[in-house]
Amino acid sequence: MPSGTGKTISLLSLTVAYQNFYADKRKIVYCSRTVPEIDKALAELKRLNKYRNENGCPDEGFLGIGLTSRRNLCKVVDARCRSMTSPWVRARAQNNEPDIELCSLFENLSTSPESMLMPSGVYTMDDLRDFGGLKNFCPYYLARKMISVADVVIYSYHYMLDPKLNELVSHEFSKNSIVIFDEAHNIDGICIDSLSIDVNLDKLESSTRSVDRLIDIIADVKKNDASKLQEEYNILLEGLKESANARDNDMVIENPILPDDLLKEAVPGNIRKAEHFVLFLKRFVEYVKARMRVMHVVAETPSSFLQHLKEVTFIDKKPLQFCSQRLASLVRTLEINDLEDYWGLQKIASFATLISTYDEGFVVLFEPFESESSTVPNPILHLACLDAAIAMQPVVNRFDTVVITSGTLSPIDMYPKMLKIKAAVTESYTMTLTRSCFLPMIVTRGSDQVSMSSKFEVRNDPAVVRNFGFLLVEMSKVVPDGLVAFFPSYLYMESIVAMWNEMGILKLIYKNKLIFIETPSTAETSLALESYRKACENGRGAVLFSVARGKVSEGVDFTDNYGRAVIMFGIPYQYTESRILKARLEFLRENYQIRENDFLAFDAIRHAAQCVGRVLRGKTDYGLMIFADKRYARMDKRSKLPSWINSHISEEMSNLSTDMAVSSSKHFLKSMAQTFDQSLQLGTSLWSPEDILQRKKLKSN
Amino acid sequence: MSSKPNDAVIDLDEQLLKEQEVGYTWEEEYKRSWDTLQEDENGSLQNAVATLNKKLKLKRKIKDKQASQRGLLRYCYIVFDCSTNTSERDLRPSRLELTLQVIEAFVLEFFEQNPLSQLGIIVVRDGLAKKLTELSSNPTDHIKALRDKQCRDPSGSMSLQNALLIAMNILRQVPNYGSREIFGILGSLTSNDPGDINQTISEIKNEKIRISIVQMAAEVQLFKKACTLTGGVFSVAMNEIHFRELVLNFIIPPPILLEMYNTHLVEMGFSIRVYDQIPTFCSCHHKLTLSGYLCPRCKSKVCSLPVICGVCQLSLIVSPHLSRSYHHLFPTISYKEISTPEVSINCDGCLDSLVNLKHNLSSGGSNFDSDTTRKHEDVFQCPNCKKNYCLSCDIFIHETLHNCPGCVNMSNSLQN
Ligand code: SF4
Ligand SMILES: [Zn+2]
Ligand SMILES: [Zn+2]
Ligand SMILES: [Zn+2]
Ligand SMILES: [Zn+2]
Repeated sequence: MPSGTGKTISLLSLTVAYQNFYADKRKIVYCSRTVPEIDKALAELKRLNKYRNENGCPDEGFLGIGLTSRRNLCKVVDARCRSMTSPWVRARAQNNEPDIELCSLFENLSTSPESMLMPSGVYTMDDLRDFGGLKNFCPYYLARKMISVADVVIYSYHYMLDPKLNELVSHEFSKNSIVIFDEAHNIDGICIDSLSIDVNLDKLESSTRSVDRLIDIIADVKKNDASKLQEEYNILLEGLKESANARDNDMVIENPILPDDLLKEAVPGNIRKAEHFVLFLKRFVEYVKARMRVMHVVAETPSSFLQHLKEVTFIDKKPLQFCSQRLASLVRTLEINDLEDYWGLQKIASFATLISTYDEGFVVLFEPFESESSTVPNPILHLACLDAAIAMQPVVNRFDTVVITSGTLSPIDMYPKMLKIKAAVTESYTMTLTRSCFLPMIVTRGSDQVSMSSKFEVRNDPAVVRNFGFLLVEMSKVVPDGLVAFFPSYLYMESIVAMWNEMGILKLIYKNKLIFIETPSTAETSLALESYRKACENGRGAVLFSVARGKVSEGVDFTDNYGRAVIMFGIPYQYTESRILKARLEFLRENYQIRENDFLAFDAIRHAAQCVGRVLRGKTDYGLMIFADKRYARMDKRSKLPSWINSHISEEMSNLSTDMAVSSSKHFLKSMAQTFDQSLQLGTSLWSPEDILQRKKLKSN
Repeated sequence: MSSKPNDAVIDLDEQLLKEQEVGYTWEEEYKRSWDTLQEDENGSLQNAVATLNKKLKLKRKIKDKQASQRGLLRYCYIVFDCSTNTSERDLRPSRLELTLQVIEAFVLEFFEQNPLSQLGIIVVRDGLAKKLTELSSNPTDHIKALRDKQCRDPSGSMSLQNALLIAMNILRQVPNYGSREIFGILGSLTSNDPGDINQTISEIKNEKIRISIVQMAAEVQLFKKACTLTGGVFSVAMNEIHFRELVLNFIIPPPILLEMYNTHLVEMGFSIRVYDQIPTFCSCHHKLTLSGYLCPRCKSKVCSLPVICGVCQLSLIVSPHLSRSYHHLFPTISYKEISTPEVSINCDGCLDSLVNLKHNLSSGGSNFDSDTTRKHEDVFQCPNCKKNYCLSCDIFIHETLHNCPGCVNMSNSLQN
């Protein structure tokens, strides 16, 4: 169901009530996708807490807090944060060395005795910043500190799923915490992304520079303060346990993943000494560079990559595994502050650790050219995770209760399969609407009865393109204010827009509305969005061309007049020629018995649902959802749509031509514009306390 | 939730919801109104009556909650859209034709009910706005202008801002005790403006001018915002009948804006009708006429009332004008629907019998011809004088008569 229908608040009130009912007060960890979504959830929680207080459930030290990146919370300058808060800088400052700048907010927080005494309540991002400002505490580190004691933590997915960040942020959560993933329709994608790494020439060059610099620094340190290095050597002998202190301050380089037992092992001898380790890194980087010179595509398993590596450079699997940990330790020992300059090297080290740790479920893919047609080499080495379960497993194993929820999890049985989890309960809920505030339609053909489809064979057929175009022209005539058109890919959008231009269709649209286009560039897109919004505000009206899976489809809401209709042109299948996708499909087929076509259709339809779902943001909003492709009318596609959309597609609306769609739209838009009396809904979608009691009685009978 | 057996409640609710949505039969597009009219066994048009009844109830509801202080001196500009969009035939005969028809009816009815007010008309086409008529209270001027050929030829785009600017410049000059209004009838979904229209809207708000708009296709945020910001009404027409109704709704004077909630004394002249033996010049058209009205202050002659004296700027009226405007201030009390009595009674308005149909049927003794005798199922009672009326009489009393005959009778007999 679309957002704004009360999903979050229902989930929160249920879990918070549960939490408070039992004595063990299990912590709730609520993961959401974006910063605005996190803030919204916090605001809901705040309202819930207030309501509970007013209605006789005193909070008794209830603390709800959200965490996002420094960038969102820091009031000072976060760019220099690391160099102002690292332990050695602070140590030096304590020795009264001159010219050292510290962050006073951070110092305050770590010295003030009050720092663990945050008054109870729910803190939204603004509240947190205000509180930090009041007490002169760093809001970011305050939040980091408080999440271990808070009753409800709301933060981004990555802090839970990304093993690097999880280790850093969430390691203290107890086993009985309740973990909730909201908006989880794309959770498998996030899992996979958090374990995949791309290496390009840029990163390699930067790594080489970093290694050289490290060599210089080591030589320097050796001359001046050799004991430091010796100390490190001794620690490493004992095993790779980071000091708690370092973790507090983020001064570890993020470690992709290491099984716990490995952490306790001693670091292999050949990389224990700093200078040896640096040379080791150098050798590895050079090897990868050499591989990048190949001019044809290579796909292999991690083990064959390691095999070849060993044959050429005599580098073993074991030291590779320790790469990123060892680098972290080195950075700490050498007291390096400008970590940003080492990002390339960090990535390479993570790459080394990942590739040597996992064999199953990964593929190493080397592509010398960006696309089939390009002749200028731009080599990329992908280490692609194919198995979403790898990132999900640790979470499921560690916590007793994990809840996965979204408005568009459908078909729901796909998710346990892909994530390799056993769902204790799966439930799909329908929703009540105050009125039929959205009208999904499947348009299968143009007014001339030629069918529409983005199927590869016909997608460039002028008749199909023209029919797509006329659908948009006609809709731009009847839909007020904002209209969003989604295309399956940038490539297709480019070609179809070019053809529309030749056919004069763009001119016809322009008569009714302005046209804005989403591009891969974030800056351009946000400019386009801003202008689009303005045009919707001042009555000019606008069409936004955007792409399924793009930024707009995932994160931008078209509330009210910003989106009165969404047209999904074609079915947004993934680019099936992509080698990574092929590898993943093969993996899914062999390991999880998910057929290629099933997965592709599932993935395409969930993105289509995501796109059209943009139009409806809350119960007072209304909008049209138009699926323009004849294949949507087929049951195998339709049944994959979320049930709240599918159940609203009536028989008459499932096989329309353009002119029929236009006339239905007109009628819909008119009836939605009539003034709407919320009180009529009492008893239907709006329940008074009596209704709830009655309902309860019915249930118990 | 969906698969549990005890979800019957939800299903029932949804059924209800659907019923509410269907609501008015005239809201359905595909069906023509005659499809929905069905004769029942007794040959009466059940559905038509039900619809009428519902309409009445709705009206009453609106009326009851509205504020009682209303602006009787209205200065109002009608802005109508003549851009290419209005050639659409989704409203018959076409958006523009329908607009013109309804405006004509509106103008006549407007002066009938608001004799102290003035109207002007602005037409928008080709991105420009043009003043068709000046503010005046002479319906024939407006209607003549409307019948001009150029109004029937839609072209170009629509600019709300241009229209608003023209209207604002005129309306800011009218006396500030009057209610200043702009009434837009728009078919276009876009407004192609030369500048920042939001700026214009806030200026209009400062001038205490109210914008109301009837849209013919869909809800446009800008239009809606313009209306709500300035205290006007925005509505979208479902079909021809609804459109006419929305436009005519505007005849009822709007409640007075809060900022103007203090009373003014307005000078007015009650003119005297004169019949001259020899023709004299009128001050309004400079023509020789025999009859006319004299301004009590400067004694100049005008042809028709109400009007502003062209010589001394006095508002000239006759007393029925005032009283006709009056009923907006003191609306006739709403009647209550009561259950049909078992015994047959007569409507105190038309003297038709108000019979309980079911009662009658079950007794089986109806031997009068069902074609000649109308039967009324709904009975309405005046809470004041306790007289009973049928539905048609109720509508007639509230929409045309503006006086409850029962109550008037009562006060007459009291005086005697
Ligand atoms: S310690 Fe906190 S306040 Fe200081 S720079 Fe870092 S994030 Fe900002
Ligand atoms: Zn005259
Ligand atoms: Zn005079
Ligand atoms: Zn009667
Ligand atoms: Zn009465």
